[in-house]
Amino acid sequence: MSDILQTLSDAMASAVEKAGNSIVQVAARRRMPASGVVWSEDGIIVTSHHVVEHEDRIKIGLPDGSTVGATLVGRDPNTDTAVLKADTKGLTAATWLGAEQVKVGHLVLAVGRPGDDLQATLGVISALMHKRDENRFFAQTDVVMYPGFSGGPLINASGEVIGLNSSALMRGVSLTVQTPTIQYVVDHLVKHGKMRRGYLGVGVQPARLPTGIAESLGQKSGALIVSVEQDSPAEKGQLFLGDTIVSLGSHKVENLEGLLGALSVTPIGSDTMVKIVRGGQIHELAITIGERT
Amino acid sequence: MNDGKAAAELVAALNEALAERITSVYRSLVQINNGRGTGAGTIWHADGLIITNAHVIHRQQKLNVTLQEGENYEATVIAYDEQRDLAALAVDAYDLPTIEVGDSKHLKAGEWVTAIGHPWGVQGAITSGVIIGTGSELPEMNQMQPGREWIALSLHMRPGHSGGPVVNSSGQLVGINTMITGPDVGFAIPAHVVKTFLKETLGTASSAIAS
Repeated sequence: MSDILQTLSDAMASAVEKAGNSIVQVAARRRMPASGVVWSEDGIIVTSHHVVEHEDRIKIGLPDGSTVGATLVGRDPNTDTAVLKADTKGLTAATWLGAEQVKVGHLVLAVGRPGDDLQATLGVISALMHKRDENRFFAQTDVVMYPGFSGGPLINASGEVIGLNSSALMRGVSLTVQTPTIQYVVDHLVKHGKMRRGYLGVGVQPARLPTGIAESLGQKSGALIVSVEQDSPAEKGQLFLGDTIVSLGSHKVENLEGLLGALSVTPIGSDTMVKIVRGGQIHELAITIGERT
Repeated sequence: MNDGKAAAELVAALNEALAERITSVYRSLVQINNGRGTGAGTIWHADGLIITNAHVIHRQQKLNVTLQEGENYEATVIAYDEQRDLAALAVDAYDLPTIEVGDSKHLKAGEWVTAIGHPWGVQGAITSGVIIGTGSELPEMNQMQPGREWIALSLHMRPGHSGGPVVNSSGQLVGINTMITGPDVGFAIPAHVVKTFLKETLGTASSAIAS
């Protein structure tokens, strides 16, 4: 009768061990080391941005106990993610789980390797925060973030990696940056060395839309332009003070966060349709999105 | 696991297993009154040997031990080690309920554990979670108390759990609740450290009861 508890306990410990083949120690700060996860066999390692304090002399502690050097490929403070390249090959890449395979209530373990050995805490998925059109896939959990756990994975009962844990994104809450977001950031950083984000060159504040327009657009507010930078894509594209941006490409824009989110996923250098409200009328302008430097 | 009924049955079976496990380990838990307050203790040997933390004894000589069934005994301190925060007490009793001592040297991160004690004076309350890690290199402990071995636990230990047992998923005794570093992290002294303590303080004659 009690075998089921033993089975569960063994399953959890094996999940930790299985995932542990892809969990490394990341020593890139003065205080205690943190954790990281092997992305690919050729030495690409993902970890938390905030644990990489010095970019030279980064040391990676591998699951077999050996230590190798690593260089910083790039970092993205927005998702608290950093990508490292370890001076080695033949690593065991983690099995990354898609965002749609994770549900609220699932049993999960946070795993870290701040020392030589693996450490783990148990919890459940508390909430999912997914913004598909901005490539933001976060999960909130009730796992304890033990010291050195940042940059380590959240795993399911089969030892598959749900995402990277960060204690720095939201105070007092354990957040996990899920696979699709990590994938997006890794692709960007490996290709460009930094996150390329779209640039329009406007200052905005949220503004309520007139009732008729709000109903026809299906949104209550837009981003009212309160400043336009010189020589910016916005100026070249004929955006003016007092225009209210309501969408950019296929993304609705209701406030500053919405605009930044849309810009972060809009291809740079492409002509993008920007929908605005000007003088009580809806207009569409084609604007070439620049790159934020 | 898309079959809702199968999943519900699994959870029910798990709940039953958890409850059954608790009943069996429960009886090895005792309450220790040191004249100023109470703490927990663990029956180590059926012939009246009880283990607790040194800080539960609080340097008091007049001690009282209450078993789960309610029997009350005067207790004598027979070994005491403030460094290890361990104490051994003797009560004049035989055939006390004990639990099997498990292997505390090979515990794995993620293993299920349950701790029992008297948190805030609540009698025999349990808390469950998993093993975070073990050894003497745990981040919070290696600077505070270098060289000491610990089991770090992800569960909700509170004052009053001290001295009580930590059991693994098979119900074996693997540690003695000792301290917390926060609301969600508890620390236990591994059972093999208790064995060493008993061998060193009570000598070879007691190796039978220590092993």
